[in-house]
Amino acid sequence: METSVPSTAELQALLDMTTTINMEVFYWWCTALMVIIHAGFLAYEMGASRLKNALASGVKNILAFAFIVPTFFFFGWWIYLAMYGGFTPDLEAGAGGMPWSLSMGPNLTDNATGIFWGAFVLFAATTASIMSGAVIERIRMSAFIILAIILGSGVWILAAAWGWHPDGWLTTTWGFHDFGAAGCVHMIAGFFALGVIINLGARIGRFDSLGKPVAIEGHSMPMTIIGLMLIIVGFFGFLGGCIIYSGTGQWTTIFGTPATLSAVSFNTLMAFAGGLIGGYLVTRQPFWMMSGGLAGIVSAAPGLELYYPPMAFLIALFASSVAPLVDKFITNKFKLDDAVGAFAVHGVSGMIGLLALGIFAAGYPNVNGPEISFMGQLNSTLVMAALGFIPGYVVSLVLAKLGMLRVPPKAEVAGLDLVEVPLKAYPESVPAAPSDKPVTV
Amino acid sequence: MASPITTWEGAEAIFTFADKPAMIGLFLTLSIAVTIYAIVATIIHENESYIDYNE
Repeated sequence: METSVPSTAELQALLDMTTTINMEVFYWWCTALMVIIHAGFLAYEMGASRLKNALASGVKNILAFAFIVPTFFFFGWWIYLAMYGGFTPDLEAGAGGMPWSLSMGPNLTDNATGIFWGAFVLFAATTASIMSGAVIERIRMSAFIILAIILGSGVWILAAAWGWHPDGWLTTTWGFHDFGAAGCVHMIAGFFALGVIINLGARIGRFDSLGKPVAIEGHSMPMTIIGLMLIIVGFFGFLGGCIIYSGTGQWTTIFGTPATLSAVSFNTLMAFAGGLIGGYLVTRQPFWMMSGGLAGIVSAAPGLELYYPPMAFLIALFASSVAPLVDKFITNKFKLDDAVGAFAVHGVSGMIGLLALGIFAAGYPNVNGPEISFMGQLNSTLVMAALGFIPGYVVSLVLAKLGMLRVPPKAEVAGLDLVEVPLKAYPESVPAAPSDKPVTV
Repeated sequence: MASPITTWEGAEAIFTFADKPAMIGLFLTLSIAVTIYAIVATIIHENESYIDYNE
């Protein structure tokens, strides 16, 4: 029996298709893992809310996801493709991201657009979830949705176009380097949240008549802790989504520099451990341990493909030690109520991470810009801080002036589950009774 | 016909109405309108919920 021998062209075609499908499979599972981040944020926020607000916090978190996906389809992806040079769009480059483009739907000749769009949507939803935790128990749902859309489908992706794009102007001008999106995701979301909570104000009872902080405990610390661990699990998808699978050579960063998943494995785990230990050393309590683990990974994220693992460990330990202190400082000094420490964990740790890379990884070459330098990282960090803070502050200020930002005090006291949802989180055990007094510890 | 193709041979964009820009525009516009309406509906729901809780 005669067997046919495939031609070189047929073998090449087979190899090409296998490579393409491997790429799709890789990002598909990264995206699936990133959904776990949202399961984590959901549990985290509900647990951090008092019983009277647990479901409303859950609804708010889910709606962030729900509104980010379509709006990111409508205009978010276009922003990424078109706005890499600043505020002037490259219309030609952006054409493929218009919602009526033939690439923005099932297309047998385009295996890449949908899978990358999906991964970026999950990054977008992550930014909204970061902000979501900071504003629980008193923000109006509609105001939150508007802010989430602006952050997730506008601000973060503009920051990504500038600093997480092969041709982004921060990289081509200053050599900005940020492997794991500590800037465009974490700093942007953290600083955006800071701008919002300034205008939103503290929850009723968060400060006593003398301005002294009063701790408001959530109804389920175990749920919060498990939620944080789920976020860490999802982070492996998040960080996998940060590396480019070319199929024909070594993995690269989004900036085109060579990288390996092996390196990311070393440093993600070392940073997680460093973060846990830092949080434990400073606070001795599980919330800040797990938040410290998160802060640790965020702080090492810019150089996960470059750091010597003990260095990632120490950077993470430092950032996670600083985060609870920063949270305490902004609470005591400025009377800000960041319910989950989102600014400290994401904004400050992201900032520490970007600057640390400028110190410890200076001199590494970039493919499309000058080498990594401290000044390049510093300048870019300032841009990220401003780009996150200003829209969050301005939009929330406008909403506050229009009376659309915060729920009425009586509704806040009664609890948003009762007023808005209205369902009880645990109807057969503990009633979602109205309560006007936070638990004091 | 929603199908933009009559054969799989040489097919590229295969999503429904890919060859009919007016229909793409219609579904896109409807999607945007529904998304905006959902925000408006949220505001209406909030205002109704807060009636007994306003000062």
